[in-house]
This record gives sequence, structure tokens and C-alpha cells, in this order.
Amino acid sequence: MTNLLKTMEINLGPQHPSTHGVLRLVLELDGEVIKSCTPIVGYLHRGIEKMAESRSYLQYLPIVDRIDYLGGFFNSYAFCDCIEHIANVEVPEKAQYIRVLCMELNRIASHLLWLGTFMLDLGASSPLFYCFRDRERILHIFEELTGQRMMYNYFTFGGVRWNIPDAILDSISVFVADLPNCIKDYENIITNNPIFISRCKNKGVLSKKTALQYSITGPNLRASGVALDFRKSNPYLVYDKLNFDIAINSECDALARYKVRISELYSSLEIVRQCLDYIRQSNDEVINKTLKPVILNIPDGEYTSSVEAPRGLTSCTVKAGGKNPYRVKWRTGSYYAVQLLPELINNSEIADVMAIFGSLDVILPEVDK
Amino acid sequence: MINTDLLKEYFPDVVVNEDYIFVSNNVFEILSFLKSKNYVDFDILSQIIATDYSEFVQLTYSLYSTVNNEFLYIITNVNTEATSVVKLYKSAYFDECEIYDMFGIKFIGNDKLKRLYMPESWKGHPLLKSYSNTDERLVWNND
Amino acid sequence: MNYLFSLFINYLANFGVPKEISYVVFPILPFCIVACALIFVVLILVLAERKILALFTQRKGPNRVGVWGILQTIADAIKLLCKENIEPNVTDGIFFTLAPLIAFVPVMVCWGIIPFSNEFDFISISTSALLFSVVAIMPVIGILLAGYSSNNKFSLIGSVRAVAQIVSYELPIIFVILSVCILASSLNIKDIILAQVSVYKMFGWYIFPCFLGFVIMFVSSLAELNRCPFDLPEAESELVAGYNTEYSGMRFALFFLGEYAMLFASSAFIAALFLGGFISPFGFYLSEKLFANNILIQIFIYFEQAIWFFLKTFIVVFLIMWVRAVLPRLKSSDLLKFSWKFLLPLSILNFIYICIFKYVVLVGGIK
Repeated sequence: MTNLLKTMEINLGPQHPSTHGVLRLVLELDGEVIKSCTPIVGYLHRGIEKMAESRSYLQYLPIVDRIDYLGGFFNSYAFCDCIEHIANVEVPEKAQYIRVLCMELNRIASHLLWLGTFMLDLGASSPLFYCFRDRERILHIFEELTGQRMMYNYFTFGGVRWNIPDAILDSISVFVADLPNCIKDYENIITNNPIFISRCKNKGVLSKKTALQYSITGPNLRASGVALDFRKSNPYLVYDKLNFDIAINSECDALARYKVRISELYSSLEIVRQCLDYIRQSNDEVINKTLKPVILNIPDGEYTSSVEAPRGLTSCTVKAGGKNPYRVKWRTGSYYAVQLLPELINNSEIADVMAIFGSLDVILPEVDK
Repeated sequence: MINTDLLKEYFPDVVVNEDYIFVSNNVFEILSFLKSKNYVDFDILSQIIATDYSEFVQLTYSLYSTVNNEFLYIITNVNTEATSVVKLYKSAYFDECEIYDMFGIKFIGNDKLKRLYMPESWKGHPLLKSYSNTDERLVWNND
Repeated sequence: MNYLFSLFINYLANFGVPKEISYVVFPILPFCIVACALIFVVLILVLAERKILALFTQRKGPNRVGVWGILQTIADAIKLLCKENIEPNVTDGIFFTLAPLIAFVPVMVCWGIIPFSNEFDFISISTSALLFSVVAIMPVIGILLAGYSSNNKFSLIGSVRAVAQIVSYELPIIFVILSVCILASSLNIKDIILAQVSVYKMFGWYIFPCFLGFVIMFVSSLAELNRCPFDLPEAESELVAGYNTEYSGMRFALFFLGEYAMLFASSAFIAALFLGGFISPFGFYLSEKLFANNILIQIFIYFEQAIWFFLKTFIVVFLIMWVRAVLPRLKSSDLLKFSWKFLLPLSILNFIYICIFKYVVLVGGIK
């Protein structure tokens, strides 16, 4: 009873402006200090793994874009990669470059959205609009290329559906030339802002050991001083031919995660530039026609693909058998970041929850699947 | 790739294949062996994949080593109960809850096991092959 | 108001209206003027804020209702008026209804205290500067009641934050007001404004000797108004909507109205203390040149003074909106630390410095 009077239980979500979807956090508060936190997920569960069992491979392909709707290309690629490996199909090099180009642009779009919403969580409204303005340009490019703004369905088994027109390549290069100046502007109003630093410095310290324990991957792990990037460590597509840096920061706090993501924007731009150069001078096919998607009949087998998505390791496991996949399993980065949350926010204040949760870049459709 | 001889020496009954290791029941011991720094240092449990094969459920523990940059898959077959590895890898908690939710496998040693996605009042385990999509299985409690 | 009063009575007397009626009508008029002006200014402010924020973020802002979106706020107001007044079952009934009123009424009083020109001051007492600072913090009682009676944990946290914030930021404000009062040797706002008339034209404004005080006052006012970066009581990313989470319709509109009206009143107060209130920045009034031979020149001057006052107030309002566009939100514990450990000592230092300045420079202690 005394404990009941001392602390207050509060439900943050599932309808809450800054839970990035429908996460529900049951917080036990002592004043404004958090004593315990229980994340409850499942409000966006769509049964994407079960859906695979009743659909053919081709029918399932558009669905995978919805797992992480901010990084549709990554899921799409992870699934295509599995099928290509099981069916033993080579992807033309140009198609590989186009995939890398799309994924890196998508990573930029995703990080920009993260930056905007993170700043909104901290109470600054303007960066959101700046970031959305630039993200909008990427979405325009994607819309011209694929016909969709978010759920692209552009990658297919054996390559990409159609070639990139030169006009789109031109607009991408204009965008790539513009973006560094925009990022510098954001950094000018954010990075050295004393309020921003006081909100992020030493908040949500994620030690290397804890991060590995909780299976954290992606920018969050790199901000804890572990140089793990699946583009470098287990290269897929043509990443081993591309020249780029991976950003590491060993300060482990929310500020470090911000810095890592900002430098990832630059390295993604670098990759996009190199891809553009290749795609312009290549006249290859963009799809391997040996694999006819409509009558797709792939042999039994299983494969697990690993993709470095904006929110960590996305991996897709396909166990093939018959017309439909026997089992599809998705592993996503945010799923594990949500688990980590109670560890990070205990004994901090409500305001810190937003800073820490925002800095982890969790989106819920990826968690709930 | 890991030193399989060493593994065989400690655990005589494991079956080492080209890209995975099959174990019969002592998953916890093998994982703690693989995690320990002196031998192989698999520090990330990337995921636990469960697949229903009607007679049994197959659990695949996907380990990753940030030192050697390689994956290792530990495969085991279970029926209704399995050993929890939360004590070794905290990330396994959600995985185990999800497998309990979707396949009905109870993990011994995981005290806070609960349904992850489905409501507690949900009947059946959706990812089992015996589960039908069209059944009326939801009973909502207004609590 | 004596001059206006006599004009008024004489004017009505021309139409045969008895003086008794004029005596009764005249005191009621100011309230009507204040109420109408308040709603009008709030409408302008809301539109201005949206337009200014849109400019900062390279958007268009409201642009559909009326030319340049001018009628947008009116449409919003009509929508709020027509909305259902939702009251949750478990609220503390009377206080839940009363809270928006308690939060709104002191704002109207604040408007009455401010002298918009030499004649337009409706509540004129000799200690009006202190009265303003007392009345200005009264809305927090309404906020506390709202948070308590809503029976919502987010509301409660929001309102408790609001009280903590106002208590800690009122002290620096009082010290700054006192230092300005010492400069002007008066506690009356109109006297403070008139004391800023000097041969140096706009350099006689108190922002120049007391710039530090202006900054402290500006920052503390942001906190008192619950404006960004101190908008913790209604931090939407943390507390959903803070103390007004459970309010809808007209009750919410009252909070909203009160907030923006208070924004204007506080800005006007800052403009009066530091930017010379209604005095013209040129040292003379334009009406003096334009209507030199008109009988009603006094009236023209009063209106011109009011226009100057509004312009200066809008400069302060713009600054506040600018801050909102740029800065993220502080944390509540940092906010209190900032006040008690930094602003309060600084305001006391400013107070001492102003005392010395007044003694040495203005009174001429050292000859």
C-alpha cells in the first residue's frame, strides 16, 4: 500500500504522439522519475509471417515492403536475396548497382525522417519540416522510378523490374549535390545547440556489453563503439566494390547515436555517387530473365539473408517448399531495440524517455510484423 | 569457421554440418560454450527461428560473432518445451515470448514468459501448421 | 482618462443624453473595448504565429480560408465553438468547468492594467507594475485546477510542472521589475514609460541601461507563458497535451485564448518596461506634424501612441515566435536549475548594478 501511494503508474501509448506508432509503455513513476518500464507491443501485428504461408512468392513480394515502411527497399531486397540464393540465380551487375542506389537513397530518407521526428520529440518543430522537405525530394524520385512513394515493390526475383531512366539519374545527381549543404544547415541549428546537447549528452548510455547482450545492431551499435556494419563485414550485392566509411562513435549516449546517423548520411551519399557513375556507363540488362516470376517454381531449400537496414540488421529466412514458402521469418533491428528500452530509461525522467527512445530510432511496424 | 574438434570434444553428441550444428537437447550448454570468450566468442544472438514441422518444432539459434564476422546456426528439435537462453542473451526474451505466442513452446527458465503479439485471451498458436486462418478464435475480455 | 472622459460626456451632452447615464456608461466601455480588442488580437496572433512559423519552415501556412488564409483562425474558432463539450465521467465537476475561467479572467485584468497610450489605461493605480506581475501569474491557479480535476495523470504532471515553473521564474521577473522601477523611481507602468522620454530619443529606453534585465525578463516570460523552449506543461511529445488533455470545445478554447492573450499582455509589459511603451522612437509624434492644426490632435496622438505600442509589442511577440521556431525543449529539472542557479543570481546582480547605475549616473552621486 505504501508503495502504491508513492509511485504512479502511467500508460504511455499506444495512442501517444511520440511513440512512433503504437508502442505502449507502462511506466512506474516516482514524481517524474521512472522506476520501472514495461514495453508492450503487438498493436500493429499484421501476421506478415503467417501471410507468407498462404501466398505464392510473387504474391508475397509486395507485402514485405510494409514491414518497415520507412525502408521498404531493404525488406524487398532481403526477401529477393533469399529466393535468388535458393533458386541459384545470378543478378546482373547493373541491377545490383541499382539496388544499392535505391537502398542508400532509402537509408538517407529514413535517417532524415528519424532526424526530424527525433527533434520533434525533443520539442523543436522546425527541423522536422526541413527534413521532410529533403525527404520529399527522395520520395519524388522513388515515385517517378517505381510508381510508389513508400511501398515500392520495385525489386523482383533476379533483378529490378525496369531500368532507371536517365532523367531520374539526373535528378538524383542534382539531389546528391544539394543535400550536403542542407545537412550542414541542420547541423548548424542542431549539433551545437546547448539545449539539444543537454538533452542528449550522457542520456541513455548504452555500453558495448549491453548492446551486444540485447543484440542491438546498426547505428545504435556503432554509436557504442562496435564497428559492425554488414555492408563491410559480410558484404552483399556490390558493397565490396564500393568505397565508403562506416561511422563509429564510442561515446555510447544519445548524442553519439545522433552523430553516427548524421555521418551515415554523408557515407550513403558517397555510395550513391559511385553507383550513379557505374549505372550511367553500363548498358547491361537489369533483370535475369531465367527466373520467370509468374511461374516461379523454386527448389526446396532455405536461406537467411542479412541486410544492413537503417535500423540495424534486417534478415529474412525463407524455408522454401512447394508453391508457397513453407516458413518466412523476419528479424528486424527495432524488435531488439524495444527490448532494450527498460534498461536504458530506468531512473531517468519522462523527458529523457523521449530523447532516449527517439535516439534508438524504433518504428513499430517493424517490431510487430 | 569455428574449431569443430574442440566442440566435439566437449559435446560428443552434436552433429556438425557444413553451415549449421545440430544438437539434441543441451542448447543452453552449447550456447554458453560458444559465447565464452576463450573459445569462439559468438557475442550476438541474432535471432531464434522457429519452424513447425507438424511432428516437432525446429528452433534455429542464429549466432553472430563480431570478432570473426560470421554467422553460426544451432538447430534443435523440440516438442512442447525448450530451455530458455535469456540468462545468456537478454535479447532472447522477446524471441522466446514470440515463439511461445506463435508456436506454444514453453521455455523453461524464462519466468516472465507471456504472449508477445496476441492478446492473452487468444486461443491457439497462429504459426502452427494446424492453425487455420479462418477460425473464430478471438475472445475479447473487457479488462 | 480624464481628457477622454470630458470629451465623451460633452459629446453625449450635445445629443441631450443626461450626464448621469454617461457616468454609468463610461466605465463599462473599457471592458467592452478590452474584450473586443483581446479577441481581435488573439485572432491576429494565432494567424501571425502560424504564418511566421510557416515562413521559418519554408511552408505556406494557412492559405485556404479567405485571402492569404486570413479567415483561418475565425474558422477554427467557429469549429471550437460548435464542438461538443466532452466531460469525462470521473472529473471533479465544478472545478473542471471553473478551471478555464480561472485561467482566462486574470488575463483580461492584465490587459486592463497596461496603458496602451497616455489616456488608454483602464486600471490606473500607483503600483500597477507590481499589480501586473501578481495578476499575470494567477492563470496558473486555473492550470493547477485543470490538471487536478481532469483526473488524468498526464494533466496532473503537466499542471504540477506549470506551478513549479511559474514559482521559480517569478522571482527573476520581480527583481527585474524592481530594477526598472528604481530606474524610473515609480511603480506605475505609465510613469515608467514616461520616464523613458529623453533627449536621446530612442536611446533613453531602458533596454539600453538595462539590457541584461531585458534578456532575463524575456527568458522568464517565455517560461511564464509556457512557450517554447519552456513549454513543459503542455509538452506534446511527453505529456500528450499536458494540463488541457481532457478539455475540448469551448473550454479548451478558453485556455487557448488565455494563452495567446497572455502572450500579448506579457509582450506588452516587456515593451512598456524596456522599449519605451507608447513613446515614439523619433522623439516626436507623426500626428504632431500631420494634423498640426486639427482640434482633435490630442486624440490623434493617443491613437498614434497606441499604434507605436502595438508595433513594439509585436516585435517582442515576433522574438518569442522566433525562439519557438528554433529551439528544442528543456528538461523540467534543467529548467528549474537554470532558474534557481543562474537566472535568479543574475537578476539580483542586475538589480545591484542598476542601483549603482542609478545612483552614479542618473542621480549624479559623483559630480
